[in-house]
Amino acid sequence: MTSTAQELHPAPTLQPGRTILELNGLEKRYPGTHALKPVHLAFKAGEIHAIVGENGAGKSTLIKLLTGVMPRTSGEVIWEGQPAALATPHEAMALGINAVHQEVVLCRHLTVAANMFLGEEESRFGLLQQRAMVKDAQKIINGLGFDLPAHVVLGDLTIGQQQLIAAARATVRGTKLLIFDEPTAYLTRKEADQLFKLIRRLKGEGVTIIYISHRMEEVFELADRVSVLRDGTLVGTRDIAETNEPELVKLMINRSIEQIYHKEHFTPGAAIVETKSLSGKGFENVSVTVRAGEIVGLYGLIGAGRSEFVTTLYGRHKKSAGQILWQGREVQVNSEHDAIRLGMALAPESRRDQGLCLNLPVGMNLNLPIYKRISSNLLISGAKEKAEADRQIADLRIKTPTRNALASSLSGGNQQKIVIGKWLAHGAKLFIFDEPTVGVDVGTKAEIYRLFSALLSKGAGIILISSYLPEVYELADTLHVFRRGKLVATHGFRTADHEDILTQALAEKQEKQGGQT
Amino acid sequence: MSTEAIAAERPKRNYNALFGLTLLALLVLLWVILSLATSSFASANNISNLLRQGSMIAILAVGQTFVIITGGIDLSVGAVVGFTTVIAAMLINAGVPVFAAILITLLVGVAIGLFHGFGIVKMGLPPFIITLATLTSLRGIGLLMTNGNSISINNDAFQEFSRNSFVGIPNLFWMVILVGIPAYIFLHHSRWGRYLFSVGSNAEASRLSGVNVQRTIYMAYTLSGLCAAFVGVLLASRIGIGNPTQAEGWELQAIASSVIGGTSLFGAVGSVHGPLLGAFILATINNGANLLNVNAFWQRIITGLLIIVIVYFDGLRRRGK
Repeated sequence: MTSTAQELHPAPTLQPGRTILELNGLEKRYPGTHALKPVHLAFKAGEIHAIVGENGAGKSTLIKLLTGVMPRTSGEVIWEGQPAALATPHEAMALGINAVHQEVVLCRHLTVAANMFLGEEESRFGLLQQRAMVKDAQKIINGLGFDLPAHVVLGDLTIGQQQLIAAARATVRGTKLLIFDEPTAYLTRKEADQLFKLIRRLKGEGVTIIYISHRMEEVFELADRVSVLRDGTLVGTRDIAETNEPELVKLMINRSIEQIYHKEHFTPGAAIVETKSLSGKGFENVSVTVRAGEIVGLYGLIGAGRSEFVTTLYGRHKKSAGQILWQGREVQVNSEHDAIRLGMALAPESRRDQGLCLNLPVGMNLNLPIYKRISSNLLISGAKEKAEADRQIADLRIKTPTRNALASSLSGGNQQKIVIGKWLAHGAKLFIFDEPTVGVDVGTKAEIYRLFSALLSKGAGIILISSYLPEVYELADTLHVFRRGKLVATHGFRTADHEDILTQALAEKQEKQGGQT
Repeated sequence: MSTEAIAAERPKRNYNALFGLTLLALLVLLWVILSLATSSFASANNISNLLRQGSMIAILAVGQTFVIITGGIDLSVGAVVGFTTVIAAMLINAGVPVFAAILITLLVGVAIGLFHGFGIVKMGLPPFIITLATLTSLRGIGLLMTNGNSISINNDAFQEFSRNSFVGIPNLFWMVILVGIPAYIFLHHSRWGRYLFSVGSNAEASRLSGVNVQRTIYMAYTLSGLCAAFVGVLLASRIGIGNPTQAEGWELQAIASSVIGGTSLFGAVGSVHGPLLGAFILATINNGANLLNVNAFWQRIITGLLIIVIVYFDGLRRRGK
């Protein structure tokens, strides 16, 4: 099979403006969470439809359902007038539904051309037509206006360039609906412009685009219509010409603040840790103080530098400038080991990758930081080990049959309680919680917040990182807003509007300083 | 959701505890069958022989298991055994007191293990690669040192040791107990043992919990090297020569014993008693096959099939079926 770039381009059969995809009560439940409440939505052929919402609002769930990665719980999907099961990714692709993910899911070790034609290689007499594929791939790439070579290994390109290749690849597969999931997260402005050009061009060819983004200015630059998801519910769809940024922001965050935010105020004590103009990879010039008995919230989008800041504080990465003062004394934190010895504890963002030993028992996970304390010389005191584990399971109300059950058998919320709870027995002074309630149901959230209060009452300080504004808003005594590696604003407890904070975290142009405290 | 987890967890745990007993039952069953099928199996002579055959692989398997629990692999142990027979033989023939010769040989094993740790931790090499590299190099170094010849050990007392028995049990089997009991306490009752499991399960989570991951990896490979050097001493004693090409393929037998004994090659699952049982199951199969006049080539095939069957059933168990 020899194909030319022309033949590979999509040939949409529908007239622009007609409904191509209709969701009738599309719904997804996980054990313990209602990730997507019944959604009714119709996409028109050839439109750019933006979907916005906070983290955990259900955007990724929606994509996974549409691309066949996960089965839906109930509801109906009508594709070009026919019901579609969308049970497998293959089925979705066969229908012409493709997605470009935030993280590039291509083969980094193969060439750009090989990736473009992966699964649809050109061959003659069973032999790959490598040279022809490179030529065709180059033609396609040039045709799209990208200045990228087709013969190089994909992994040698920047993440942004790989993203463009991923987009280009999706266009050669007879795509009728193309979903972009936060495509510009890793792109430079120039790369983003190239991508927008590609998106507009696809639209011109009749391809329907679903564009998911945090960035308001992109939504207004690109989209024809925009839908807002909040807590798994579709709260509104607007024509872009008839809406504005404040309205969308309001739709995104206007939720009733449930009584889950358990906030006790303690009189702040002495400073536990203080950073002075700390800089490192991904953030610069950050000065933050955490005192005993207070929660310091760090808010910002993913990639804004919050996680990089705390992992540097925790000794994971080297600082490039600035000072760290621990209880008033300057210290060097060169490793996690140093941090733990000082009295810091980090409950990391990804509990599966960084927080838990999944195939080990609950009891061992809980005791991991304190084995030194519960062993005399070299031998572990079996009685102490059991007692500590059982006490923590009871204190934290971890739902597990025994301390010997494997951590992997627990629900997400209970796993998270282990990640947090294992530090309680350790007796740390400073607790760093990175997105502690992601993928956790409301009841467990409330319990985790109560743990915060228990820690504060013992004189500990907490750094709370969250992309979920209500969480930091309702819990933090001091709230710092990060954007693009910089600390851009600082607020007291409930001293600013949600809208202001969100604007500070998102805005590119307005350098508005929030209520300084 | 939690109630489901509770319901699913109970039978799984019981099965887990049963696994060790199942292996023991398998071993006993093999012994009973072979006792009935052959006249010579149950003789004191043959049992002693079988214990001697299994002992050295059993000790290797214990060291190997420490490494596998961390999620690594040590392919070098067979070569270390061969290499250390040469070291022991040369030292003893040079007139070094036997006690000191053994100690130095063990230190050579420790040094090789430390080198593996260095390669993995500091140079970032995959365990498979660094231990494969020492496998081939050690054989080469040994051949250079001996000029390709075997070195006969001229010390009768040293050789007597492996042939003698103590209270009716071969000395070599006592060595398994000598290694097995501290290994058991180390793995299951010390925090270093716990750290082996936690590093194998999730190195990142362990690091964030204050576990010194690098030191744990050094420790695992050092212990494996130490066990291998100890086996090298025992082998030198048993055959009375130092020869770098000895113990060909023992690393695979050690890995097989470990896996048959319930160790997961993905790390974080394993014990000390499992690999010991695994080693003696393999030794019994080989011994029985000899007595039954089964073609020696079949023994290898049977070992292969056994690995597939046991690991398959173990996989079923882990998936909770």
